Amino acid sequence: MFGELVTLLITSVLLNNAVLNQFLGLCPFMGVSRKKSSALGMGMAVVFVIVAAGLVTYALYYLVLVPLKLEFMDLVTFILVIASLVQLTEMFLKKSSPALYKSLGVYLPLITTNCVVLNVCLVNISNGYDFAHMLVYTIGTPLGFALVLYIFSAIRERLEVANVPESFKGNPVALVVAGLMAMAFSGLAGII
Amino acid sequence: MLSAILMMLVLGALLGAGLGIAAKVFHVEPDNRVDYVATHLPGYNCGGCGYPGCSGFADALVSGDTDSWQCKPCKPEAKADIIDYLKNTPGPDGKTITVRP
Repeated sequence: MFGELVTLLITSVLLNNAVLNQFLGLCPFMGVSRKKSSALGMGMAVVFVIVAAGLVTYALYYLVLVPLKLEFMDLVTFILVIASLVQLTEMFLKKSSPALYKSLGVYLPLITTNCVVLNVCLVNISNGYDFAHMLVYTIGTPLGFALVLYIFSAIRERLEVANVPESFKGNPVALVVAGLMAMAFSGLAGII
Repeated sequence: MLSAILMMLVLGALLGAGLGIAAKVFHVEPDNRVDYVATHLPGYNCGGCGYPGCSGFADALVSGDTDSWQCKPCKPEAKADIIDYLKNTPGPDGKTITVRP
């Protein structure tokens, strides 16, 4: 049981990484990775939203939707919950850290449409995870997202001063780097 | 069908109430100097200052993003009035703003 949970954690953080293996959440991945500080802030915001959304939607599904035989409503209700949680995060950040609020800009409300969030909530249900597995998967996936986002932003900060061919400057070379990172991460598949 | 509608209504009401409470708890006191400056600017939103519209320039003046006057279509009296207002009105942190004309 315990070993299985550790495996699930490593899988969700590294091997089945949300960005590099499932190609989810690419919009904030490209958008907020210019500065390490804002990448870290975005990572933390996503961790909070996903953990909260995962717990709430899991409870909602098994305590409300299943007894009422409304399983088909999962998508709609989950989106409602996610949107509210993002709104809450936005208010909290605006109050506690205006600088971070400014640097995240439009990408903060866009966490609502970040597909990693909805993916985690739906996979929790469709894979039939029990509470412990759900918790591990819900924490592991956004941690993987935050980790990759931070690594990528560090590389991009270095790329700013690198001698990049004119036509590759900016996003093109960043996408090439993302592809190389995905290949490097796929090499980790051997550890399980 | 009915239970689905009722469930969505209840869920929406609960989440809405939660957000309403959160909005009270995390209420940020807006700097009302921004409003004053924005209403006393010409309001043409010409973009000549390099900021997105007059409210953008007002925000930049109050937040200290710029300390020089960049609004060209503004009338001299209004300009003097805004500079005077910012010089004499302390913000939430107790500091005033000096704008170079």
